[in-house]
Amino acid sequence: MELSRRKFIKTSAIAMASAAATGSIASLVGCSSPEPAEEGADPAASADAQAAANDREGITQTVGVCRFCGCGCGVIVEAKDGKVVAVKGDPDNGSNLGLNCVKGYHLATALYGEDRLTTPMIRDDKATKGTGAGAGLREATWDEALDLVASKLRETWKADKSRLAFWGSGQQPIVEGYCQAKFWKAGLLSNNIDPNARLCMASAVVGFMNVFQTDEPAGCYSDIDETDTFVTWGANMAEAHPMLYSRVQARILNGTDVKHYDVTTMNTRTSANADKVLLMNPGSDLAIANAVANYLIVNDLYDKDFVADHLKFKQGTEDIGNAFEDGYDKSEVGQTVDAVEEITFEQFAERLAPYTLEYAEEISGVPAADIKELAEVFADKDRKVLSLWTMGVNQHNRGTWMNHCIYNIHLLTGRYARPGDGAFSLTGQPSACGTAREVGTFCHRLPADLLVAQEPHRRYSEAIWNLPEGYLDAIEKPGMHTVKMFRELSNGNIDFLWSAHNNWAVSMPNLTRFLGKGDKKGIVDAFIVVSEVYPTLSTQYADVVLPAAMWVEREGQFGNAERRTAVFEKAVDPPGDAKWDLWMLMEIAKRTLEGETIGDADAFDALFGEWYDKDAADFKGDERETSRAIWEEYRTFSNPSLNPAAEAINAEAKLKMENKQLAPYDEYIENHGLTWPVREVDGKWLATKWRFCDGPQEDGFDQYGIEQYGAQDLAGGVSFYKSADQRPSVVFRPWEPPAEEPSEEYPFWLCTGRLLEHWHTGSMTRRIPELDRALPEALMDMNPDDCKELGLVDGDMARVTSRYGTCEVKVSTAGRTAQPKGRVFVPFFAEETLINLVVQDVYCPLSKEPDYKKTPVRIEKA
Amino acid sequence: MPFKGIAAIAVALGTVAATAAYGATRETPSLLRPPGALHEGGFFERCVKCGRCIEACPYRCIVAAPRDAGFQAGTPVIDPRAHACRMCDGFPCSAACPTGALEPVATRDEVRMGTARVNKDLCISYVGNRCEVCYRACPLIDEAITIEFAAREGDAIHAIFEPVINEDVCTGCGLCVERCVVSEPALAITIEPAT
Repeated sequence: MELSRRKFIKTSAIAMASAAATGSIASLVGCSSPEPAEEGADPAASADAQAAANDREGITQTVGVCRFCGCGCGVIVEAKDGKVVAVKGDPDNGSNLGLNCVKGYHLATALYGEDRLTTPMIRDDKATKGTGAGAGLREATWDEALDLVASKLRETWKADKSRLAFWGSGQQPIVEGYCQAKFWKAGLLSNNIDPNARLCMASAVVGFMNVFQTDEPAGCYSDIDETDTFVTWGANMAEAHPMLYSRVQARILNGTDVKHYDVTTMNTRTSANADKVLLMNPGSDLAIANAVANYLIVNDLYDKDFVADHLKFKQGTEDIGNAFEDGYDKSEVGQTVDAVEEITFEQFAERLAPYTLEYAEEISGVPAADIKELAEVFADKDRKVLSLWTMGVNQHNRGTWMNHCIYNIHLLTGRYARPGDGAFSLTGQPSACGTAREVGTFCHRLPADLLVAQEPHRRYSEAIWNLPEGYLDAIEKPGMHTVKMFRELSNGNIDFLWSAHNNWAVSMPNLTRFLGKGDKKGIVDAFIVVSEVYPTLSTQYADVVLPAAMWVEREGQFGNAERRTAVFEKAVDPPGDAKWDLWMLMEIAKRTLEGETIGDADAFDALFGEWYDKDAADFKGDERETSRAIWEEYRTFSNPSLNPAAEAINAEAKLKMENKQLAPYDEYIENHGLTWPVREVDGKWLATKWRFCDGPQEDGFDQYGIEQYGAQDLAGGVSFYKSADQRPSVVFRPWEPPAEEPSEEYPFWLCTGRLLEHWHTGSMTRRIPELDRALPEALMDMNPDDCKELGLVDGDMARVTSRYGTCEVKVSTAGRTAQPKGRVFVPFFAEETLINLVVQDVYCPLSKEPDYKKTPVRIEKA
Repeated sequence: MPFKGIAAIAVALGTVAATAAYGATRETPSLLRPPGALHEGGFFERCVKCGRCIEACPYRCIVAAPRDAGFQAGTPVIDPRAHACRMCDGFPCSAACPTGALEPVATRDEVRMGTARVNKDLCISYVGNRCEVCYRACPLIDEAITIEFAAREGDAIHAIFEPVINEDVCTGCGLCVERCVVSEPALAITIEPAT
């Protein structure tokens, strides 16, 4: 029987409700039987349905969020007999409407790899580090492992607290990150805490802070549905943001004359469907963006009312070199990188003037006519334009500058914070926004955009954390950012490192140095604790491995790219002796802080005593109650009226903390996620889709934010009430060449990144048999002519060498990413390839985010 | 850690019934032959089951048809679910054939081992999930397999990414079959061998 498209889709939608991601036969039959019967139509089918109903007895359903990328797709988790049996798209999630990418579709299986870590492990002999999976590790009890970890942490803390560090993640759930930051900053008075979000979002964050004085996008995913023009900058959305890219294609399909411009250094799956690809030389995006801005000004095509009502103009320090040396940040030039000064619009225009279309063509290799076409799109008042960008912009030796340049174009044309007209920085991880950025697990931050260096910010945090006034002055100076942390680890200047929710031994750049394969052996001597769910390359360097509950084995919260906070409910218990990360944190904090006081109070109890009973070694409530209670404290940061002392500081220092207002915990569960700021109106909590855009709150506009702090009737109907003087900054940033460029010795550009089938370092997705089959190895995409010249053919092994390190990888000329001559691309998911042995660790001087996209390499037949 | 499921050749070729019928009927079932194979009748006349193509295959994709394949037993076949043809540069398999059962192949686009067929009822891309593993695995991406975008009924904000086979270009190498994430109740993509 041939099924009509209409019927098939309808049936499939129902079948999605039983489509198990475990790949079980039953689920797939249910999902896509060639002859699905409608209810009551076929007696045999009814019998099947009865059998299916019996099978479903005892199945519990909980609401979750996908564990993988930054899209934040909602899922429904089905469990039976203590095991997750199915994960399906959540049809009530307004973003993914029940759909998933191939990773999310197979999510359940990620929990059940055969080598899940279920027992704490200790390494007695440091010489066994890096000698193989499990080598040198012995099983231990929790007490032994925790005592050891805490004693090493305490010993380091008492001796020299500049030598301890925690490396976290944009995959750490919100309340866990919140408690981790509280322990590190208020408990240990250390700023040596940083997340892996440093590797992906830091340039975007510094861009937001510099331009708007508040982090995260003004717009939301609905902008995709409302725009006429997409401009992707250094973003392979088709692979890295699968469900959002489906939304892009839906808009192109359903809209009229919707255009897509792709600004890129290689032809990706995203380029494949673009109307125009601006194929540029690596690092030349600044020249293109400046040429667009210059064209708009010279030809009088910018929005004068918007400029007059909203903008201020600046220029900054420019001759800042590159962050090759360990001492860069403290060098004379390194200390001036953030300096800016105000200039006039005319001076700004003068600075831009050299960036003619022809000059930009000369630098970028993109025809002047194409750059002009892009500029004309921004000038076209009948169009809406949405810029989307990711790692090509952020992982860039001038990543912060390039973020500025994108905002410059959008602000000059009044295309920001308005439906369909926006500049949207896509995040890569499920809670890079929710945890790393909003909680502030960075070395320079406190919760809710607050900074350790700002006195009122410390006072405000002390008020909420109930600390003596001035207590946090000890952390006035930012700690080590990620690259600094690992550089100092390799230098032997870190004695204690604890990591969780990441796999640094695969994901950090310059692994040749950091894994002790060169002359720096600090990794061997340092005491390293790794909280993990599976053995990874990082656990091979751990002195203690702490087995963690994974995803829905505990309750957690993620905040995605569109400021959407969502709760994933606990569905099952963790296996064996694996424990909730938050419990591990409490037990380590309890032991480390033993006998310490804050004011007159016991230090641990002052920080965590409300939620945790240290004598019972357990939380006072269940996971829901614990999460809710911690959330309630955390959300006080954005609801100052909940704390009189904080409220007074908020008013006096004009912090406007309500700009990131969060709702009570249960609202997120009931609504399957909400985008902040969330406003209480007549007893209901209403989300905001477009920050700073005036309009009714119930339609998703920022009515109450603007009423409280902003101004109405300004150009574009927007009001940037969180920006200094209510004016975002347009900052002139010049084009600078990449930190290193190809030479005779290293003639190729190496770019690394993510592909659709695998999440980050593959520690989860490679344990899903279907995904491992779908993409079993990392391939180096090469230009066929380059291959010919090097005597390489598709399928050959090649040796890739930079001045940092070397590895071997198989060559592909198939064109999944089609490379221009002189450029290659390698994904970073494969531990056996370990491309990061080769990648440089030079970083953007402002954001400290490394440039994974432009390492000069030599390629030879292996 | 990596999962290396080995499907039975017959199952992978979608010829479950044909296996049982080998000996009984002496009809020539369609099997997936190495690159350059003459059409089935001509191939079978010339193949002397010498195994040189099997030895020449660097990826061990080519295997001898099993004993229960009746009179075809011992002839070279490819089970794409286990090991798809990599279409090596220089095609060492066909170059090794002493009898002309496999004709020399110069370039990939000459190869016509078969044609991929997507089972739209089983494919998870056709309901709106972002899979398209077959498309991205295809050595002739955007040529042999392309993506056609279709509206999803009742959903204005997602497109269906339909993998579509271009029969004029598809070589039948089977890499799409090897990589497909759907295996139950059957593969969502199969190769129909050239006849």
